[in-house]
Amino acid sequence: MKKIQSSKIFYGIYIGIIFAFFYLPIAVTMFFSFNSSKSLTHFSGFSLRWYINLITDREIVDAVWVSLSIAILATLISTILGTLTSIGISKCRKVIRELLMNINNVPMMNPDIVTAIGFMILFSSLRIPKGYYTMLLAHITFCTPYVITSVYPKVKTLDPNLADAAMDLGATPFQALYKVLLPMLKEGIFAGALLAFTMSFDDFVISYFVTGNGVSNISIIVYNMTKRTNPTINALSTIVILVIFVTMFIVRFIPYIVRKNKKGRNHILNEKIN
Amino acid sequence: MKKLTSLLLVVVLALSMALTGCGSKTKDKPVLKIFNAGEYIDKSLLTEFEKAYGCEVIYETFDSNESMYTKIRSGETYDILVPSDYMIERLIKEDYLAEIDWDQITNKNLLNPDILGQSYDPDNTYTVPYYYGTVGILYNKKVVDKEDLADGWELLRNEKYKDDVYMIDSERDSFMIALKSLGYSMNTTKEKQIQKAYKWLVKQRDAMNPVYVTDDVIDNMISGNKSIAVVYSGDAAMIINENKDMAFFEPEQGTNFWTDCMVITKTCKNTELAHEFINFICDADNAYINTQYIGYSSAVQPAYELMRDDDYKGIAAYVPRTGYKKDEVFTYQSNKIRKRYSELWTKIKAY
Amino acid sequence: MKHFKGMTIPYIFWAFAFIVAPFILIIIYAFTDGGLSLTDASFSLDSFRDIIDPLYATVFMRSFETGIITTGLCFFIGYPMAYFITKFDEKMQPVLILLTTIPMWINLLLRTYAWIGILSDNGILNSALKAFGLPAVSVMYTGIAVNIGLVCNFLPFMILPIYTSLSKMDPSLLEAAYDLGANKIQAFVRVVFKYSIPGVLNGVILTFLMAISAFVIPKLLGGGQYTLLGNLIENQFISVGNWNFGSAISFILAIVILFTISFLKKIDPDDEV
Repeated sequence: MKKIQSSKIFYGIYIGIIFAFFYLPIAVTMFFSFNSSKSLTHFSGFSLRWYINLITDREIVDAVWVSLSIAILATLISTILGTLTSIGISKCRKVIRELLMNINNVPMMNPDIVTAIGFMILFSSLRIPKGYYTMLLAHITFCTPYVITSVYPKVKTLDPNLADAAMDLGATPFQALYKVLLPMLKEGIFAGALLAFTMSFDDFVISYFVTGNGVSNISIIVYNMTKRTNPTINALSTIVILVIFVTMFIVRFIPYIVRKNKKGRNHILNEKIN
Repeated sequence: MKKLTSLLLVVVLALSMALTGCGSKTKDKPVLKIFNAGEYIDKSLLTEFEKAYGCEVIYETFDSNESMYTKIRSGETYDILVPSDYMIERLIKEDYLAEIDWDQITNKNLLNPDILGQSYDPDNTYTVPYYYGTVGILYNKKVVDKEDLADGWELLRNEKYKDDVYMIDSERDSFMIALKSLGYSMNTTKEKQIQKAYKWLVKQRDAMNPVYVTDDVIDNMISGNKSIAVVYSGDAAMIINENKDMAFFEPEQGTNFWTDCMVITKTCKNTELAHEFINFICDADNAYINTQYIGYSSAVQPAYELMRDDDYKGIAAYVPRTGYKKDEVFTYQSNKIRKRYSELWTKIKAY
Repeated sequence: MKHFKGMTIPYIFWAFAFIVAPFILIIIYAFTDGGLSLTDASFSLDSFRDIIDPLYATVFMRSFETGIITTGLCFFIGYPMAYFITKFDEKMQPVLILLTTIPMWINLLLRTYAWIGILSDNGILNSALKAFGLPAVSVMYTGIAVNIGLVCNFLPFMILPIYTSLSKMDPSLLEAAYDLGANKIQAFVRVVFKYSIPGVLNGVILTFLMAISAFVIPKLLGGGQYTLLGNLIENQFISVGNWNFGSAISFILAIVILFTISFLKKIDPDDEV
């Protein structure tokens, strides 16, 4: 019994060290967002000036907007496209299925930079002006494969006759899809959507090559800041980190607390009845 | 099935309308597309210009003259560009630029006459100067001996300062240093001289183990991470302003004298607005605001003088050397020479 | 059952327009010499002849080296991490996994900037060392800095798939192995590790892929002298403007990687389309 305890402690220490490694740069980023001077290495005093700067800097506000709206739209569209494709593809002939799945693997297997220059060449040979929509197109394209790889395995586990059965019972194909198939794929669809959002929101390389006309997302702004780094962007990421933590907390712990309360109330109710 | 698809389509369309909603409000406003180097304007001026002229400014930045040129070649169009001398020469030669109508630049008389009429555009047919400066060596006064400075560019090969040097990750600037140190012209096309310069740089690399940096040199030198760095005079002024241990000098072997100019492209449709913008930037007050942000030597004389005598008082780097006979301006390179330099440069830094 | 087959049609078109077409364009650029435009291009192998230059071989080798070192480090650090996480009870595990995922949401470039602040010569690390009376270290703009940056960014991509494989394992399997007389090491190698191979493969593929083509992290933490394939490609496309040569490098890189991956995937017992 004691042995298990000590190995647990060792595990805990190891995991702690790795987390320290992960969170050290994040902590540094957050810490210097409160610096009163421009430096990212020497703390000269507490100040909120970079937060004020953040709200007034048009470029950063625009970039946040671009990053968010692209991530939301790309997630939405790629989730729909990917889910429909996953369901449809299981009904296709093997040749088409294998071909499409192999093509689908390309954006995930190809290095980002190759995908990026592919888009850049494509858009400039077609003389499509680069900007918001080219960025969106590119993001949808590299997000969809992630949705398909999350949803398709789930489709494979379904009984192939499920939809037929529903339709035999009088459901329209739409109903069969909406009421029978989609609920069973919920988990895969959510996982895919989450992955797509993460990929899109954090992307730099592809966005950097396909944008133009002054449209930049957060990553591009950060990249262009090399000349004059300042903590404005640290303030932004501090806010992003807090939002993520709060969201995760709500998603993870609120249901838990609610359930606990309910249980408590039920308990009281039961007692009253008795 | 069809219902679902159409429903989803409607949702997506509605969302994209909502998310990109800003599209409609700018439709009737004239638009000006500017392509400038990164961190090379005080952006509040753009907002002010938009307000004053009821237009929309689309502002995009590049990280080198070469990348700007590649973008233009790949079919992107802009109204105003801010390239450097040698790139302007190329753009003029390749017919990308429209002539400046100087009658519309009412602030013309504020421009420093010494900066006008440079060799790439002797009559300023196409260019309105923006900022100018030189390239030199920034050093830490506490570390570097005064006597060593007499070596000029050879300071970069003084093994006393091994591991303590930032070089500039730009093929033209690096070759300029080697060529000037060897007493050649920085615009040479002679293979023998290029080879010698290449060897100079390789030897320097092996002896000194320098770090090749770009704009990150500014933050690094402000924090004093190394003692010697090759920098542009304007960046030097800014660094010295924040770290008084640093000083700047231009080697006697001669250096590069550079000017960046505002130019209007042939594809520009609203030339009136473009001229208004250039004139707006040349206004004494605006130029001063801009210069306070950028820290370079302004071509607008009153702004320059104010900075020299007030903000950057006593910082010699803010007054770049002009008229020195060994200093040169970069000139146009043929594609073949350009490719040669860039190959050699990759060889030097990525050995 | 033809009702849902039609739902693949949009993606078939999409995939051809945005996945296949760009790739074909890269190939066309790689085998021609028309510069930026395709209209006056003609077939040429010049770009491939240029690649034979020993210089580019060094860059290739350095990229592979970086890829292998980063993948190796991620594996040796990440595997125990994933394994230890499975040792915690069911309520703790999702929290630990969540904590592993969160860094992936913070902008990669920002985390890299933070590393610059930590590692630079007068940075946080050296200030800390100085405070303890220790000698300063110079790691910024070296391979060490690049590797720290890469590992920090890519480690979650190794941990997560391995954890997913391991968490599916039935613990009674391990007990059975002990009952059958296996010692700790045997049990681990024959049962645990074997079970986690699909996750390991996924993790290795992901990190190797990202590390070999990285270009921002090497640029920011390694300086100009740390040129990798990614930097070379970026440079050809953005600065030099030699799209033919850039395409040729990209083409070779893509081919090498696609082959490596399909080879690795062959080892994976679970994989099937």
